[in-house]
Amino acid sequence: MLAVEAKGISKSFPGCLALNNINMELERGKVHCIVGENGAGKSTLIKILTGVYHPSQGSIFILGQDASKEMKIFRKIGYVPQEIELFPSLTVAENLFLPFNSSIYKNRFVSRKVLEKQALPILEKYHIKAGPNDVVDEISISEQQLLQIAHAIADDNSEIILFDEPTTSLVSRDIMKLFEVIEELKKANKAVVFISHKLEEVFAVGDEITILRNGVQVGNALVKECSMDWVIEKMVGQEIDPAAKYRPVGVASSTILKVNNITGKGFRNISFELKEGEILGFAGLVGAGRSEIVQAIFGYKPFWSGSIELSDKKITSPNPATAIRNGVLYLPEARKQQGIFPNLSVLENISMILLEKLRNLFLVSSRKETALGAQVLKTYNIKAESLAQKIMFLSGGNQQKVIIGRAMSRIPRILIFDEPTKGIDIGAKAEIYRLMKEITEKEKISIILISSEIDELIKCSNRILVVYNGEKAGEFQMEATNRTDIIAAMIGSDQTIKEREI
Amino acid sequence: MAGSGNKGIKRFWKSARESSSFNIFIVVLALCLTASIFSKYFLDFYNIQSLVRDMAFLGLITLGQALLLMLGELDLSLGKISALCGVIGGIFMVHLDINPYVSILLTLASGFAFGLINGLLVTKLRLNSLVVTIGTAGVFGGFNLVLTHGQAITNIPKSIYFLGQGYLMNIPTPFIIMIVIAIIVIFFTKFTKSGRYIYAIGNSREASLILGIKVDRIRTLTFAFAGLLAAIAGLLMVARLGTSQPGIGESWPLNSIAGSVIGGVSLQGGVGGPLGALLGIVVILVIQNMIVLFGVSPYWQTVVSGIVVVGAIAFDSISTMISEYNVRKMTEGKTKVE
Repeated sequence: MLAVEAKGISKSFPGCLALNNINMELERGKVHCIVGENGAGKSTLIKILTGVYHPSQGSIFILGQDASKEMKIFRKIGYVPQEIELFPSLTVAENLFLPFNSSIYKNRFVSRKVLEKQALPILEKYHIKAGPNDVVDEISISEQQLLQIAHAIADDNSEIILFDEPTTSLVSRDIMKLFEVIEELKKANKAVVFISHKLEEVFAVGDEITILRNGVQVGNALVKECSMDWVIEKMVGQEIDPAAKYRPVGVASSTILKVNNITGKGFRNISFELKEGEILGFAGLVGAGRSEIVQAIFGYKPFWSGSIELSDKKITSPNPATAIRNGVLYLPEARKQQGIFPNLSVLENISMILLEKLRNLFLVSSRKETALGAQVLKTYNIKAESLAQKIMFLSGGNQQKVIIGRAMSRIPRILIFDEPTKGIDIGAKAEIYRLMKEITEKEKISIILISSEIDELIKCSNRILVVYNGEKAGEFQMEATNRTDIIAAMIGSDQTIKEREI
Repeated sequence: MAGSGNKGIKRFWKSARESSSFNIFIVVLALCLTASIFSKYFLDFYNIQSLVRDMAFLGLITLGQALLLMLGELDLSLGKISALCGVIGGIFMVHLDINPYVSILLTLASGFAFGLINGLLVTKLRLNSLVVTIGTAGVFGGFNLVLTHGQAITNIPKSIYFLGQGYLMNIPTPFIIMIVIAIIVIFFTKFTKSGRYIYAIGNSREASLILGIKVDRIRTLTFAFAGLLAAIAGLLMVARLGTSQPGIGESWPLNSIAGSVIGGVSLQGGVGGPLGALLGIVVILVIQNMIVLFGVSPYWQTVVSGIVVVGAIAFDSISTMISEYNVRKMTEGKTKVE
């Protein structure tokens, strides 16, 4: 009997057909991967498989039962969401067992002791160091993610486990743990669904792969019978050269930014120089202090000692407004919270940085504003219905291009990109790499690029600076370095590391 | 529609349709139509005149409140600021015998200062504006009682009566003053840098900081501006009544918030605008007026107007749900045909 059988699933929303005739079969003891770019329909498919949405057409059979007739059957599906969806002020054990079922109830009350007793072996199994009574808010993001996985699996009733981009907030050590967990689930004859952007992971754990593009199933194959290039081609709809490099050529010898020994919250004694027209990569694990360093340079967070020189001029008491006036712009990692104004139009989002230049006397001129917006839209090839469309309805890649275009309209000298391709499709990623190369070469702008994807850093950077635990752990000229050295510095280890296939 | 060949009208119609205040404008029209059908007194000249005069006071409060809501803040002390400023104005004019116009300027300055206090408490001490202004409402209301012992100040100079009781071409002066300020505020939000920054901050405080916007300065000054508008409303009320009544403005803060929300301003901030908010309070005032005209028992009046306010707020949400449902039905029909 198949664990899940989806027959001819379609789902429409006002104005769009999100899924069109999807057929899938999930077998027990197998890992089924779903891949696709953002907006391909992965999330919609997940929501249908977990019973959040009802399909407009088609039917789902879970363990042989028609799910539309027997909603309860969805309880057999355990779901690990992409974002952390825990209750931050409850304890680890409470989060693990919510919603409390009968094994936790004792005489109609939830007993802390019982919770604790049942939680301990599970925490140990998933290598979660936090205690059962620790408040979730106070444990690390990586552990929260592991806890979330444990929560989905802890319920023995789950026969099917769905992982939605589970590795985005995991450090590589924990990714290995996750893969072990998945192997165990396979052995326990559960069906596993694994959704990921990272094809390397898909090829490491998957058995079967379903490829979605624009809501349509464009490919279905056994992992061992297909190549990564084929999958990428199907996902993107065009060929993309995975080995392409985007390092700017002709970096000037003049230094534009000099950072001397700065120390602040989360980092110590950081010094480096940035050349004109250069892309300087910042490598390091999540939480190593990379964002904190650049935010201090930008003036968004304070630093306590040391100094910063911008084209030989010392910057005293930095703050974002003066940084922007000096031509230093920061494009934050949390695009949705820190980058865009979700309810405002594309045009208002763009012009927000340049309002004083768009004024006649003291009123903003709609003509000048629209001209700027139209130019940014065209230059950066942004796909939007119109300038008046709310930016939150644009895809992640297009939002990022709006943010880049907005920054560029200020004619900057230094751009600080913090994880610019997080949550962005492969196709749009390449476009952003091209854009970064182009602006450094043509406009002689310097870029500081923070990324958790080593390959991205290797592709784009002239130099890479590695941060480990708040300190500078190395600086590498990219022509003369291999990735193993960088990874060694990132995890703060001099010992030989066996690099795994990721 | 037939005969709409005229491009100018077409374009105007299109931009009006796309304007965020269009729906609420239709609601206002429908309400007025209903009211005039069921009561012959609704369109009566004096009724309309008194309606727009009432709207002036609440309108001034709402303009400030809407700006605060757009920032993601709110101010429950605005009514108390109005009352206190009315009393302060009365003390200046009557007890201290200061020139009425100088008194007005001094009173406006104190209204600005009261708002500034709210703003500084919220930004400098990083407090929640709801809780802070519940507190300061108590303080302002308390000072009001300390100063007056609950007694009205009479003998307000007649020279300022025209501000509250006068007419310009049969339109009550307070209404004209409110409309002039409203136009300035609407232009401010749409076409000035600081106005746009209000939307930016309401959408995302962090993103605003990263763009170098002086977030706390704008938040503080918006509170102060709302205080200034409350002082204007309080003074106009004094001029209208001819006395400084300590008890005015009780219902203004909550009605201004409800009106703003009816008019499309989001409590989370960043959405809507002052025009919609003003139309929103028109809805509330017309309904209250209808209740009186229809002869509903005074005991039931607040019950009915409360229900209607909840209904009006729900209206937008329900109509969105209905349109989503219809589109879904339509697209499902289409997929079946395929």
